[in-house]
Parts: sequence; C-alpha cells; structure tokens
Amino acid sequence: MLETVMQAVINGLLIGGIYALVSIGVTLIFGVVKIVNFAQGEFVMIGMYLSYYLSSQFNIDPVVSVLFSMPILFVVGVLIQHYLIRRVLGLNDLPQIFLTFALSLLIINLSLMFFTANYRTIHTWYSDEAFHFWGVYIPYAKLIAFVLAMILSGILWLFLKTTDLGKAMRAASQNRDVAQLMGINPNRVFAVALGIALALAGAAGSLLMSFYPAYPLVGQVFVLMAFVAVVLGTLGNVLGALVASLLMGIAESLGIQFIGADSGLIVVFILLLATLALKPSGLAGGWRK
Amino acid sequence: MTELSQNRRKIIKATGSAFFASGLSAIPLRGYAADPVNIGALYPVTGSMAQIGTGCVAAAKLAVNMINDAGGIKSLGGAKLNLIISDVQSDTTVTRTETDRLITSNKLSAIHGCYASALTLIACEVAERAKVPLITGSSSDMLNKGGRSYTFTPFARASQFAQTQLQMSRLATDKPKVAVIFENTAFGTATSNGVKELAASEGVEIVMFEPYSAGFTDAAPLLNKVKASGANTLFSLSYLNDLILIVRSIRQMGLNIAVNAGSGGFVMPDFYKNVGKLADGLQGVTHWNHDISPESQKCNEEFKKITGEFLFEYGGGLIAQTYMLADALERCASRDPQKVREALSTLDVSSGYAAMAPGGRVKFGPDGKNIYGRPVGVQWQNGDLASIYPKDFAKASVLKS
Repeated sequence: MLETVMQAVINGLLIGGIYALVSIGVTLIFGVVKIVNFAQGEFVMIGMYLSYYLSSQFNIDPVVSVLFSMPILFVVGVLIQHYLIRRVLGLNDLPQIFLTFALSLLIINLSLMFFTANYRTIHTWYSDEAFHFWGVYIPYAKLIAFVLAMILSGILWLFLKTTDLGKAMRAASQNRDVAQLMGINPNRVFAVALGIALALAGAAGSLLMSFYPAYPLVGQVFVLMAFVAVVLGTLGNVLGALVASLLMGIAESLGIQFIGADSGLIVVFILLLATLALKPSGLAGGWRK
Repeated sequence: MTELSQNRRKIIKATGSAFFASGLSAIPLRGYAADPVNIGALYPVTGSMAQIGTGCVAAAKLAVNMINDAGGIKSLGGAKLNLIISDVQSDTTVTRTETDRLITSNKLSAIHGCYASALTLIACEVAERAKVPLITGSSSDMLNKGGRSYTFTPFARASQFAQTQLQMSRLATDKPKVAVIFENTAFGTATSNGVKELAASEGVEIVMFEPYSAGFTDAAPLLNKVKASGANTLFSLSYLNDLILIVRSIRQMGLNIAVNAGSGGFVMPDFYKNVGKLADGLQGVTHWNHDISPESQKCNEEFKKITGEFLFEYGGGLIAQTYMLADALERCASRDPQKVREALSTLDVSSGYAAMAPGGRVKFGPDGKNIYGRPVGVQWQNGDLASIYPKDFAKASVLKS
C-alpha cells in the first residue's frame, strides 16, 4: 500500500514537471504582456517535431536537442511578438484572443499538412528503462525531463530576480505605464518575455519527445493542464505556476489511483475550485476577505 | 473537455473540409466509355481517423483494380467496377450528408464503408432508406439489430471479439486474473461490457474494471493501479496514442503481465513503428489477418508493393467485401441496387477472394450477419502480426513473453 502511494506521488511529480514548463510559459506571457496565449501547446508540439527530426535525421538525442529547440523557439517568440502581438496590444481583449487562437488553428492545420496525422516516437537507450528501488521505480526519461524542467525554472526565477532585464519584466508586469515612465522599453521587454515563454515550450516538447509520441494535436493534451495551473498558481506568478503544476500532477495521479481512472481530473478541478473559494486569485494570492 | 476546445475541434474540421470539399468529395477512379458499375466508398480521409481511412481507400482501389484487371463483371459484358470515394471526415454529421449526397448524385449499385462503427451506423440508416446495399467491416453488434435489410456484415461481431479475448487469456496462464481498462466512450464501453458479461461463463476472473478518459498525459498512474490489483493479464481497449504510452510504461515498470489489446489501432503497422520490439508478444483480436489464406497472402503482397506496409485488418476485409459485391453482381447480372441486395442475401461462398475471412465461408443470415464469421486471435511477432488462435486458424505458435 505504501509503495503504491509512493509510486503515485512519484508519477505525479514527474509529469507535473512537464506541466510546469508549459504553464510557466503561459503565466509569463500573461503576467508581462497581459495576453492569453492559446497557442502555447502548439509550440510544445513544434518542439516535439523539432526533436523528432533532429533525432531521426541527425541522430541527436532528444534531451540534447533542447539546445536547438529553445533558441529556435525563442526567435519565433520574438518574431511573433514583433509582427503579430504588438499590433493588437492596447486594443480590447477580443483581437488578442482571436490572434493567438487563430495562430493555434493555423499551426495545427499546417502540422497536419506537413507532418501528417501519424504518431512519431523516438527510442533512446534510456527511454524505456527505469531505476528500481524500495518497490518503486523512476523512469530515466521522465527523471531527466523533470530535473531539467526544474533547472530551467530555477534559471528563469534567478533571471527575473537578479538581472536588470528580469526586473524590468517584473516591473512591466506590475504596472506597464509606470514602468514605461521609469525608462523601460516595453516592446523589448515583451519580445523577450514571448521569446522565453516559447523557448520553455520548446524545451517541454524536446523533453517530452523521449517518452511521449508526437502528433499534430498533442499540444491540446498538455495546454488544458497548463491553463488550470496558471489560474491555480495565481495569474502571472511564475513560482505559483510551478508549485501548482507539481501539485496538480500529484493530485491527478492520486485521483486516478484512489477514485477512478476517468476522475483524475475531477480531483484537479476540486483542488482548483477549493483554492479559488478560499484564495480567489490563486495559491500565491491573498485569502478571501 | 471544455467547450472551447470542442469548438476549436469543430473549426479544425471545418477548415479541413474546406480544403477537401472541392477535390476529394467525388473522384471517379477511372473514366470508361462503356457503362461501369458504380460502387460508393465512404471513408474518413480527413480528421482524427484520417490515417486509417487513407489505408482503407488504398485497399479499396487495389480490390477494384484486381477485379477489373481480371475482366470485370462478365455477366454485364465485362463491365468495370468504378469506385466513387467520399470523405466522411471522421464526423457523424458529415457522414449523414455525404452518404446522402453520394447516393443522390450517383447511380450506385452498392456502398462500402465507413471503418468506424459510429459512422457506419449512420451511413447504413441513409443507405437503408435509399434502398442501396451497404457492406461493412465495422464490428458493432448494433448494425445487426433494428431489422435492416440492406446492411451486410461479413465478419465477426464485437461480442465475438470479447469471447475470443477471454479465451486467449488462458494462453499465457492457467488462472487468468484480468484487469480491463477501457477508454470511456462508445468504443471502449461497448467492448468492455461484452467482456464483463461473458467473463463468468468463460471462467475468467476480472479483478479490475476501469474506464479512463482517452488522451491522457501519462499512463503510469493507471498502470500503478493495475499493478495494485494483482492482475496477471491486461485487456486494454484503447486508442493508439494511449496504447503506445501504456506499453512503454509497462516496460518501464518492469510489470510482468500478459497484454491483449483487442483490435483497432493495435493491429495497424503504425503501432509496431511506434513501440518497436516492445510490441512483440502482445496479443489482440481481429476480424481478418493477412496470413489466414493463400488469397489473403497474395493480397498482402500486392498491398505491400503499393504502400510498403502489410495489409491491415480492415483493408484486407475490404478487399474480400469488394469480391463479395462482384460475386453478387455476377449472379444478378444487374446494376440495380435492389437486385444486388437480393444477390447478396443469397451469397454463399467458401472459396476464392470473397471467402477470404476467418472461418473461410460467407453466408448472410436475415440480420445481415455472416453466420460463419469468426474472429481470429493475433500476436505481434518480430514486427509482423501472426494468427495464433484458435488452433484451426493458427499460422504461428504462441510466443511466450
């Protein structure tokens, strides 16, 4: 029994690490640029296909391919901010929603066209192996993904806390107008925020690729969890999204174990509703007055 | 699923259909000066089932070419079969309108389709009203209920699949303790209920019976539960994506369990491409396999030349179905769909391509069900799908994993 619970917690934590990479991207964009990026999952999908092709064509390990997918998607993020999102900022919310939503549809359909609907998987020497100890097991691929996800989140947190650009980002997220008065160039800050968020999505994709099949609609599977984590962890709060993602992974896993395999998400949503009832702006926000 | 993502899917489907509506909706395969015999083909060439639908179309074309190259329908002066393909887009609403359109805008002698039972159930209603015979490899028992007289199902039914699956659990162990996991929509629920109902009479103990939501992010939590149940056999009624994750997780866990994954995506060449050697030893059940007869092996060779893959269950069955239609056309010597229906209802073949089914004989009962239809148990062995159960169909010995 103890082993079963321990295993359930381990499983939840490991997948929570992947949720974290996706949700931190969403929350960063929301916090800084104040738009909801519905296409975040699709950039995870692009990261997966990048890794898939690097692996099948050039024999590059999916974990190593993070070094390619992150910079490539960073540039994509900057370009999207500069040529698309910048144009709709300051208008009301609807054009912004439609923009990222349209982007998501466009990317999915282009992927169906170019990549076809077939599932693609990569097999590395570690992808189907695991550590076994005390009656539980930890798959190598998921452990590597989890550790790298935590390292990347840590680096991002340090960046936001210690560098000038990071501080400028936090300032812009707190109050855009005042930040501008302090000499912060919002366009530059927004472009970097988009770049980082998409680079994280790319990293999530590459790390997923060693144990999850890629297909054009795969982004949708992960983005729902990411949105819940963003709300649960307080909109715009990076640390909150990280903690919420890990909590959700564990809640889902325990829910599947002890309630039912089709009610894993019920536990997650109960967690969300309970949190919102007590702390209306999420875990990192204040208590209900 | 949120309303938002449902809408999104609708939009995706709509965009897809816009692309294809102009081109794919009705392509006469060949133009003939003499009167050809029009056969309608309804398959999901776009949408979530696109991949399998495309394979079905390839098999349907192969069958028509084989018959035409051999001289067409001789009693109709060597008339060629003309395949009219229509894309039902993996969508029930589209299936209804496309079936209707296909029938009203072409003079059809018969129809085959649609792979997925959910789609076939709708298409056969439309065909029934228009009095055009529809022959299908879909497995739902529902197709044989409701007193339809234009629907013909030449292969084993879903309820027979469940029974075979239960019997096969004895291949690996004398005392099977089965965990049944199934995706919680129509496909998984219907098949798993069949398993549950028959388990006691087959003397198989079910220790876990668990629905799950298809498209999960991780199979590990579900398999952790299977492990805790103490099962030694796993029936997984899943779509391809989930199944890939399940098989890989079993390996990572080091779980020693026999797996029977039924039909569907599991018996497609794509499954092996995704899981590789981990697939070897896994068992399933199909209504057709490429090694069942010399004819099926010949079709398999031809199909391999075209696509590079072995001939999959549904595609192989589809070639047999086309030959059944040709047999009926030959006997009734008419293009009239009602005459073709009568000829189908008196069909009785036990040799040649038309009889290329497990059981080796096709004769329809009043409910449109082939009274000799039987499923065949299969196992992945070195990248190929081998028939292993029951003994009289077995072409390879059981691989113990």
